[in-house]
Amino acid sequence: MINEELYVKSRMSQRDNPFRVPEGYFDSLAAEVMQKLPEQTSARRPLTVRMRPWLAAAACLVGVLFTATIYLLSPDGATQAPVATTSAEDTYVEDVADYVMADNYDIYACLAGDY
Amino acid sequence: MTDDKLLITQLTDPKTQRRAFETLVRQYSEQLYWQIRRFVLSHDDADDVLQNTLIKAWQGLGSFHGDSKLLTWLSRIAINESLDFLRRQKNMVTMSTDDEETGVANTLMADDYFDGDETEAQLQQAIAQLPEVQRTVFLLRYYDDMKYSDISRALGTSEGALKASYHIAVKKISEFFKSHD
Repeated sequence: MINEELYVKSRMSQRDNPFRVPEGYFDSLAAEVMQKLPEQTSARRPLTVRMRPWLAAAACLVGVLFTATIYLLSPDGATQAPVATTSAEDTYVEDVADYVMADNYDIYACLAGDY
Repeated sequence: MTDDKLLITQLTDPKTQRRAFETLVRQYSEQLYWQIRRFVLSHDDADDVLQNTLIKAWQGLGSFHGDSKLLTWLSRIAINESLDFLRRQKNMVTMSTDDEETGVANTLMADDYFDGDETEAQLQQAIAQLPEVQRTVFLLRYYDDMKYSDISRALGTSEGALKASYHIAVKKISEFFKSHD
């Protein structure tokens, strides 16, 4: 293979470049090409492409917040509901006690079933 | 900063981009032209393909990140434009097998911008008749001394396949020369 390659290279190198170009072709080429170029091109990546990492981060954050919100609002996940329930019950008992003008002794007796 | 790195920096700045691209055209167009001409053979076709190559390079500046040399990137575009041109040309021309064997040589001999003799014309025909990958790797290895890795990236063909194709191409061209001794 190496001998064959050397043979081909030696035969090829004996030959001059058979192709030629019109006179002055390369001198006028740059001006011709620049004339055909569109006015503007962005060397920077489009805004949507550059914003992708930020959009992805924002989407993740929204997802986390949404999941957390769903979890907190669900009955099993809510930690403050018993406190709220207890407060509502306490308020109700106090309102009833005020209405019937019951003192603490009467309330205890009622709760114990001795009333 | 090397010339290439400076040019790349200027190409990414909208204020200097156009002037930098003109520099790129002046610096690399001749080398690209000859690379293309060896594929398409005719000056008019080479001129068309070269201008398409440079316009595509301009439009694709945003996709060039400096991870290869400018010339390597430009060559990749030029090679693919040349191959696309040849495929379109092959689809358009309907010839019999006999006509195809003599067509390239005869066309070259009639070309005002071809100064070779008949043997040279037949050599170009022998190269033109190689399958696409063999022709490409032979031309780029022999005339441009292009690395297999760069050709591989341009064509999307493995280096192993390219080396095998080059070996076969060399064998065929060697047989051509021996038959014309």
